[in-house]
Amino acid sequence: MVTVEYDYKDFDDLLAGVELLKDSSQESLTNAAADIDLHDDDNDCLMHGEICSSTPKETDNLLSDELMDASPSFHKLGLSQLPLPDVSRETEDERSAPLPQAVSDTTANASHSSSSEPSNRSSMSVTGKIEAVFEEIADALLQEKNELTLTLLRRTRPQKVSAMSPIETNKPPQSVVSKRICFPGKTAEEAWRFTVVVRILELTHEALRNGTVLSKRDIYYRDPALFGKQAHVDRYVDDIAFTFGVQRSKLNVTAVAKGLISGAINICRRDGSIVEASSDREGMLVPSLRDVLSINMTAVRWILVVEKEATFRSIAASTFWDMISAQGVMLTAKGYPDIASRAFLRWLSTSSPRNGFASPPVYGLVDFDPDGLAILSIYKHGSIRLAHENADLCVPQMQWLGLRREHMMIGGDDLHASQGLLSLTARDRRKAVKMLERCATQGNDAELQVRAALQDMLMLNTKAELQLLDAVPDGMTRLLMSKLGIL
Amino acid sequence: MSKQYLQTHTLASTQPAADIFSLAPTPTHLFVGSGSSSIKIYSTKGQVIHADTAADEHPYPLAQTLEKVHPLGAHHVCSSQDGKVAASAGFGGELKIWEISEDGTSWSARGDVVPQDKKKAGESWAIALSEDGKYLAAATHDGRINVYDTTTTASAADDKTATQRIAQYETKGSFGLSVDLSSNGAMTASGHQNGSIYIFNNSTQRLAHSLTGLLKPVRAVRFSPACKFLAAAGDARIIALYDTLSGEQVANFSGHASWVMSLDWNWSGEFLLCGGYDGKAKIWSVERKECVATQTESEKCLWSVRWLPKSASMRNETFVTAGAGGTLAFYREASGT
Repeated sequence: MVTVEYDYKDFDDLLAGVELLKDSSQESLTNAAADIDLHDDDNDCLMHGEICSSTPKETDNLLSDELMDASPSFHKLGLSQLPLPDVSRETEDERSAPLPQAVSDTTANASHSSSSEPSNRSSMSVTGKIEAVFEEIADALLQEKNELTLTLLRRTRPQKVSAMSPIETNKPPQSVVSKRICFPGKTAEEAWRFTVVVRILELTHEALRNGTVLSKRDIYYRDPALFGKQAHVDRYVDDIAFTFGVQRSKLNVTAVAKGLISGAINICRRDGSIVEASSDREGMLVPSLRDVLSINMTAVRWILVVEKEATFRSIAASTFWDMISAQGVMLTAKGYPDIASRAFLRWLSTSSPRNGFASPPVYGLVDFDPDGLAILSIYKHGSIRLAHENADLCVPQMQWLGLRREHMMIGGDDLHASQGLLSLTARDRRKAVKMLERCATQGNDAELQVRAALQDMLMLNTKAELQLLDAVPDGMTRLLMSKLGIL
Repeated sequence: MSKQYLQTHTLASTQPAADIFSLAPTPTHLFVGSGSSSIKIYSTKGQVIHADTAADEHPYPLAQTLEKVHPLGAHHVCSSQDGKVAASAGFGGELKIWEISEDGTSWSARGDVVPQDKKKAGESWAIALSEDGKYLAAATHDGRINVYDTTTTASAADDKTATQRIAQYETKGSFGLSVDLSSNGAMTASGHQNGSIYIFNNSTQRLAHSLTGLLKPVRAVRFSPACKFLAAAGDARIIALYDTLSGEQVANFSGHASWVMSLDWNWSGEFLLCGGYDGKAKIWSVERKECVATQTESEKCLWSVRWLPKSASMRNETFVTAGAGGTLAFYREASGT
């Protein structure tokens, strides 16, 4: 039946006058809606579902006619209410059938909205790209080919990125593997992979059309029986983003933020509310950047990034923090940073109209061990796995506050302090050697310091954790004061 | 009575932030292993006290650089007492043997130490050469000590022949931080991350003593010149002296304020030189069991301290220290001339 709500949502984008982030998927959606506006007959089509489905255009002619009668749910527009529950209960073979059905709806719509410029559309918006893929599949079914094919670009780890640091964000990774996944393919696993990819494409397309945001967990829980493990979803979402050559956020897929912040900033959200990050002693979750209009950073003189949540909390609970919290911001991503936290940190530290043109110094406080240095490197230069997303996420000006070699002796003979000192494990050593291989032998001071630190760690066969500072009275205070330059 | 030492020369690092991790003096040269990929060899021959020429003012010229031999840096270098053979170990796990030329002026590669079965051998860390350079002892990450015959090294890159291993000593599995071979070839000693120290008898190839007393990582073990004593020190900040025959602890010297990273006996066995994490080098009199001199060049950690071998031209004892910051500092005993 006609879903009237759908139409209004579309026009909301047009009429709302909300400021759009450049290149956001909302922008492309709005453009798509704008296009619809231009063609009067298309408008009519959208309003009346039946009409749309019964007046197919171009290549979709035969297909929609054929499949129209196959399923009663065919008349519904959009993918959201589509035979999703049915799909999961069906066998893999049958699975492929309903999907193109749904596809034909959307491709029909897409072709309506972009009939004036079909090829340009698909090269510009992710929605268009997904629809192009579906169109191909529909074509293949139409032509009764034996196999349906998808091509996915898989990111691979560069082999030996020696003497290359920081990670060069403009160059593509050293090897890009192009994988063709066929359905039904040679093995059941291949058929499963095909289904997973198509499913994810479907779900993200839905999210893009409706302007909603999915998390990778959401995607997984839509169909746990199909996806099996969260890790599979994670991997394929990243591969799809990489294949399309866009950031994952453009697929309207975000990871749930795990970072915490506390300090002297006010966040102005899209819904009009203003949140003070200093209000909660425990820290607040890093907000999704989509919800944020601007951040007031006038009071911020420094940003402190802490590796561990435990350290974050112990600093936030200290009287020292009471004294300095009005001058800066503290952030933790609880270990290896996620994209949301990295994006937020970049927003805070990079001068732009949205943060009041502030660019305060950023200091990193990590353990003196290979993982700590790796975390620092990810904040600064980005991760190798997600190298295609790095440009907007890295904070190259971040400075290494600690822990450093000279802090190892801070505890002296204290028993508790010595508990912060541990031997390196075999894994630590292997990681340190691998990181050494990737380190540059020339470069600026900061990079050479990291190389020297890794060698020191291996020589001492000991690592120091941030807990060490807590065991020493005023240990953390002195360390922070020395660099943050306050009081 | 305390001894006086004067700092005579310092050679600052030309490369920034390349720590010097290890020193190995021979009668003619000084090997320097550092975080950079090349090993530098300095000449220690022409030592005069009063400079007659400009050249004499720099008695430690850079004689040779072994370019880019350890891409990730070299963590240990050692030399044979006769000054003919040297060895170096890199962070990437490679072990190389070097030998001096016939005329005694330049060093060349003899080959790499390639174990027969890498997994069984373990990854090498600390190394030590026997007096004539024929044997190389290497302590591994899991506490084993392998003794190799250095004459059977793989000379070419594609030479698949494995280096012959004379002995393998197994211990409880704790990381082998330090190792030494006695000058008479009779014993091998090792110090480990868990504080254990072992002495092995090379002729019977069995464990002779398991020494107790230091509970924290043992970063340096050295036999005295006459092989009567073994000195060991580390994070426990005391230097323990053991009798090698009985295995009993005969002395310990305390006074270091921070971890002891390196130690060396002087030629006569009367004095022990120790370098600490706090940058202080201390000299202990074995007989009087007290510290007779302390030298501080900087606050940066001293990774390695060594006496220069006594030579005829050298009237006063000289030692060299090196560490973080990459500076080599030479000290000479001050005495009435």
